[in-house]
Amino acid sequence: MAKKIILPRVAKGKNLVYLDDNSVDNILAMVMTLTQEISVLTDRLNTIEHLIAKNGQIDLDDIDNFEPDYQLQEKRSERRKSLLKRVLLPIEKALDSK
Amino acid sequence: MNKQKHSMQPIPSHDEAVRQDFVTDFRAFLTDELYPKITPYYKSRIEPEFIKEHGRTPEDKMEVQNVMVQDSAYQSWSFLQRISQQMMFTSVIDTVERTLEDLIKKTKEYSTLGSLELDPAIQIPRYLTAYDIHQQPGGYHMENTKNDISAGVVYDISLPIYSNDAMGDENDLLAQATINFIKNNINTMPKKILDMGCYIGNSTLPYVRAFPESEVHGIDVAAPGLRYAHARANALNASVHFSQQNAESMSFESNTFDIVTSCLFLHETSHAAIPKIINECARILKPGGWMIHLDVYPFQRSVVEPLYDFLKDWEVTNNNEDFSGALREMDLQGIFEEAGFSKETIEFTSAEASSETNKGYTGDFYLKLPVYVAQKMA
Repeated sequence: MAKKIILPRVAKGKNLVYLDDNSVDNILAMVMTLTQEISVLTDRLNTIEHLIAKNGQIDLDDIDNFEPDYQLQEKRSERRKSLLKRVLLPIEKALDSK
Repeated sequence: MNKQKHSMQPIPSHDEAVRQDFVTDFRAFLTDELYPKITPYYKSRIEPEFIKEHGRTPEDKMEVQNVMVQDSAYQSWSFLQRISQQMMFTSVIDTVERTLEDLIKKTKEYSTLGSLELDPAIQIPRYLTAYDIHQQPGGYHMENTKNDISAGVVYDISLPIYSNDAMGDENDLLAQATINFIKNNINTMPKKILDMGCYIGNSTLPYVRAFPESEVHGIDVAAPGLRYAHARANALNASVHFSQQNAESMSFESNTFDIVTSCLFLHETSHAAIPKIINECARILKPGGWMIHLDVYPFQRSVVEPLYDFLKDWEVTNNNEDFSGALREMDLQGIFEEAGFSKETIEFTSAEASSETNKGYTGDFYLKLPVYVAQKMA
């Protein structure tokens, strides 16, 4: 088998600092990626729930082939937004302060 | 979960798909929930502090910038906006990396319509290699393997996330605006059309559909984009002639095209490149032919208000778009005249498109973007 192709994941450019220093920026970036992974887990669990409710059992391939209908997509989207709202509450509050 | 819009796009796994969905919702959250708070926050918190210190309001964008980058609430939003772009790319790169070998093999099947001409000796201009535009890792030109198309695929499947699905199934709403402009304002039945900086051809294909009698060409410097563009056009059943060329110096003969166009291309070049590109447009157009570039707003510095000016240039500083701010300040009118375009035909106006009338667009999305228009002297 040919060697696996690895694609770059970091963009070249200026190193900008946004908050107190790079380590604070890094922590916020990691928090957001963890939030994303919580969202992935929640959606996966939800897919499994739907498959079990429908078929009574799980065939592993069914997970990748599962296509949420429009209503379910909207529901998931709402749930992601409420997750984001809870995680980002301190920042939202700071922008609200009078 | 099928996000595939044509057969040259990869199919993400379950987790890749919902990871990408999260980025779409994250970006919507930043746009809908946090961004609207910035102006009121500035007015109630930042500006009064500035007035207290200086006895006046900030005069320009730089003065706003100096105080805003010291403010942790603003900087938090700005940083989140910046990393949402990075998360968009990392979440689609997983899918592209996993499927790349098969996709490259597939390009062979999708090669009968149109043509593809690559130039391995081409020099990628420094304005594309100095940093990765839009923070796309590796930029638009990087070759990660033989016959690589990865950067093109990444671009194609990240656009719907970037635009919150507003660009349509074929990512072509911007070009639809230019075409609407041409149909409404220019009386022409073009035989030959060139799209410069075409990359994956998402803004090139609409010309094939809108002017079925015409021969459509697309050029770009980036081979991974062009290889993908050709396969993508075939997957979408459109004939386009793609070639790897620098718009500053093209191999087309003089007086060849009826229309030369570009879509969000000029602002990715440089001060030195702009006059050369415009001269080339004038050279390869037939007498009486039209040049139409869709791009950022020109001549906007003197207007509106410092906070608006500052926020409008967010992408310049924070999303690796260095030249788009400078392009706004260039004397394009003078450069167009110098190149041989008729003075009275030069116009900096706007083009519009609406998503309701076209299939594949979600929601009602209305778009109005600047176009730079000029006719070559007959």
